[in-house]
Amino acid sequence: MASSTGSLRRYFITRLLLVLPMVLILLTLVFMLMRVAPGNPILAALGGHLSPSQLAARERAAGYDKPLIVQYWEYLRQVFTGNLGTTITDHRPVTQIIAQNGAATLELTASAMFVAVVVGIPLGMLAGRMRDTWVDASARIFGIVIYAAPVFFLGLLAQELFGHILNWLPTSSEASVIIQANLTAHTNIPIIDAMIDGQWGDLPDLFAHLVLPAMTLGLVISGVVLRLVRVNVIQTMKGDYVEAARARGLKERDVVVHHAFRNALVPIITVTGLQAALLLSGAVLTEETFNWPGIGNQLIYYLEARDYIAVQGIITLFALAVVAISLIIDLLNAWIDPRVRY
Amino acid sequence: MSRLAGVVVGVALIVPATAWAGASGAATNNAAHHTPPNVTITLGTTDRIVSLDPAGSYDLPSWTIIYNVYQTLLKYIPSTTTIVSDAGTCAWQGTGATTYVCTVNPKQFFSNGDPVTAADVAFSFNRINKIANSDGPQSLIAPMKSVTASGDKVTFKLKAADAAWPDVLTTGAGAIVDQKVYSLKSLQPSVAGKIIGSGPYYMASYTPNQLAVFKPNPHYGGNDVLQNSEFIVRYEETATTLVSDVTSGAVDIAYRELNPTQILALEKTSGITVVQGKGIEIRYIVFNLKIQPGSTTAQKLAIRQAVAYLVNRNDIAKNVYKGTVKPLYSIIADALAGHINSFENVYGSSPNVAKAKAVLKAAGVKTPVSFTLWYNTDHYGDADLATELQRQINTGGLFDVSLNTAEWSTYIQAGTTNQYGVSLFGWFPDYPDADDYTGPFYLCDEEWMVNHYCNKQVNVDIAAEEASTVQSVRDAAFAKLQTLTAEDAPLIPIWQGGQVAGVRDGVTGVKSTLDASYTFRFWLIGKS
Repeated sequence: MASSTGSLRRYFITRLLLVLPMVLILLTLVFMLMRVAPGNPILAALGGHLSPSQLAARERAAGYDKPLIVQYWEYLRQVFTGNLGTTITDHRPVTQIIAQNGAATLELTASAMFVAVVVGIPLGMLAGRMRDTWVDASARIFGIVIYAAPVFFLGLLAQELFGHILNWLPTSSEASVIIQANLTAHTNIPIIDAMIDGQWGDLPDLFAHLVLPAMTLGLVISGVVLRLVRVNVIQTMKGDYVEAARARGLKERDVVVHHAFRNALVPIITVTGLQAALLLSGAVLTEETFNWPGIGNQLIYYLEARDYIAVQGIITLFALAVVAISLIIDLLNAWIDPRVRY
Repeated sequence: MSRLAGVVVGVALIVPATAWAGASGAATNNAAHHTPPNVTITLGTTDRIVSLDPAGSYDLPSWTIIYNVYQTLLKYIPSTTTIVSDAGTCAWQGTGATTYVCTVNPKQFFSNGDPVTAADVAFSFNRINKIANSDGPQSLIAPMKSVTASGDKVTFKLKAADAAWPDVLTTGAGAIVDQKVYSLKSLQPSVAGKIIGSGPYYMASYTPNQLAVFKPNPHYGGNDVLQNSEFIVRYEETATTLVSDVTSGAVDIAYRELNPTQILALEKTSGITVVQGKGIEIRYIVFNLKIQPGSTTAQKLAIRQAVAYLVNRNDIAKNVYKGTVKPLYSIIADALAGHINSFENVYGSSPNVAKAKAVLKAAGVKTPVSFTLWYNTDHYGDADLATELQRQINTGGLFDVSLNTAEWSTYIQAGTTNQYGVSLFGWFPDYPDADDYTGPFYLCDEEWMVNHYCNKQVNVDIAAEEASTVQSVRDAAFAKLQTLTAEDAPLIPIWQGGQVAGVRDGVTGVKSTLDASYTFRFWLIGKS
């Protein structure tokens, strides 16, 4: 037992140390990519409005003429001191964007993950259990099609059908304008804010606004979950312990749920966790499609505006989030499966 | 904006607000006693605010809010280009358009209750130059040599005669801030409660890029009468969601930026009216006289003139923009005083291949003339325009035009550093005066339009219009320079765009605010 704990600790420390070069590489890549792209925030915002000499003067004043290495050093210093800076284009602290818009992304991605799990796992189990039947074929086709569908395309279809034709659900933003105007931001997640203030009457509107974006993004991710669960359930169904369970006269439902699925869970947790990266990239497009005020939505705007500071800050956050999730999953795997530690 | 020195004549008085305020009451403080109807208006837009501090913004989205939260000394009467008093009453002093004196109107108050003083006005202008923010409007007030306050009077001394100075005072650069609240050295954060103006509204709450809520300024002393008790702006990510929101009724008004297809779709949507206002945004072809096709100056001129003969503006307006823009026959928009249809006068209103052929032949130009027409899609969205122009110019076999495009940052850099011989550009004016369309394009030493065009007579005409405050004198100068520049054709105007909004039935007042000043006046919007 002592040796097992020691190896887990060693693995944890090694894995933690590996995060540092990973983050540094990511930060460097972000910095270089932003500088490789043509233009700068001054040109993007005031080009065509000011003369070339006026533009050049403003670029100098903003420090864009400094050597890249100087700018890079300043950037790293800021990141490692926890200061992500203030956006160039609209003078907002990046931490404010992360707090305000990050909360909206968190709300969306958590809801989408919920949809993915609720749809993907039961369908995957069913498909695995009923392998090579029409149920399996239908689930597989659903999984492939839904995963292959671009999230913005799926979103537009959903908007058209449920928003415009059936007129069942709102198609943009987190809340109706008047409701949003009367909410006080405590957590920047309107549903929670409304609960804190006891504005229960606002909840139907807030949930209605969440349905389409969360379903769209969640269904795309559910395709991956479905296929993964199916394959692993099929694998585990071949196990001796499943045969043994059957031989003991357990009901087939109990065999699948309590024996096959439980053993299939390890790779499912790993891959589902790693879907976080996919979820974040999907969130960018979903937010754009549904005017969802998340951080991905902001990223697109700041990219177009060549706002180095904002883009660097947001991508750094994304990178750190993915690295952190990977780390947690690695550690979780190492904890569950001792073979990983050696 | 470039200004020329010149001889100055005349004294111009700004139309007193009382002359216009007949319909809405006395010049000052009447609106303070008016209780606005209990109406909430919601507006959707794809605009993005840069800063709500006038020293940190030089863009329409920010100015749209600034116009409603702050006062300026002067303002335009809605639907006109006539300037009247807002927080001040102004006049030229002396015999030249170099000293401009304004008296701050009494009983004007900021939303925090502080009185508006002449010192606040001088402070507001001085801090723009002092802060010199990279997004600020310091270039717009560059003609100002000094601004001083004495009692209730503010005196602007200009570096050179500048008849358009009153127009500058109406812009966001002229917004008055409270010197007790704002710093001389740094920008005020764009946060509700910290943005203090003396305009009709105060900002009740603001979530950047999401929602801004405006309520009537309880201390407002101006003469604008509010037609609503709350105005909410929702910032949308795309025009698609903007259209969707106005269609579903999530917002009352969809304002900026709707493309022609979306405008047509909204026109067909029941319960929505598309309101078109006067717009003075323009699009034009630029020839770089150094690198455009042609071996000699005469050949280059002939090529430009031949292109001018071949452009069919009506087809462009009808086919490319579905009638949402108007053909433009001068670099000056037709809503402005001084405009004449100079290109129509010189080249006719419809294409003429025979004349294009003749002018090329006379200059000894070998046909077909090949050149690349550069255009941009992510800023101007000109792909369809470029394709249509290519088709039109190639008609008759005189030209062999190819197309090329670049992303905005590259485009603007290359377009002003002698890399594009022929390209498409646009202009969005700072204020609705013809001077804003002439100096930046045609002055020999003007840096904005780097196309190496220089005609000394045009310079003289620009100097004459800038030096005079008499409109007839300015009109004559504008007419002369428009004819000259049409003949030289360094730029070929294509279209002028109007402002467009999709408005839900029952919402009133939008038409009257969509004017050439691009001031979206929240207070005019009500519900019937």
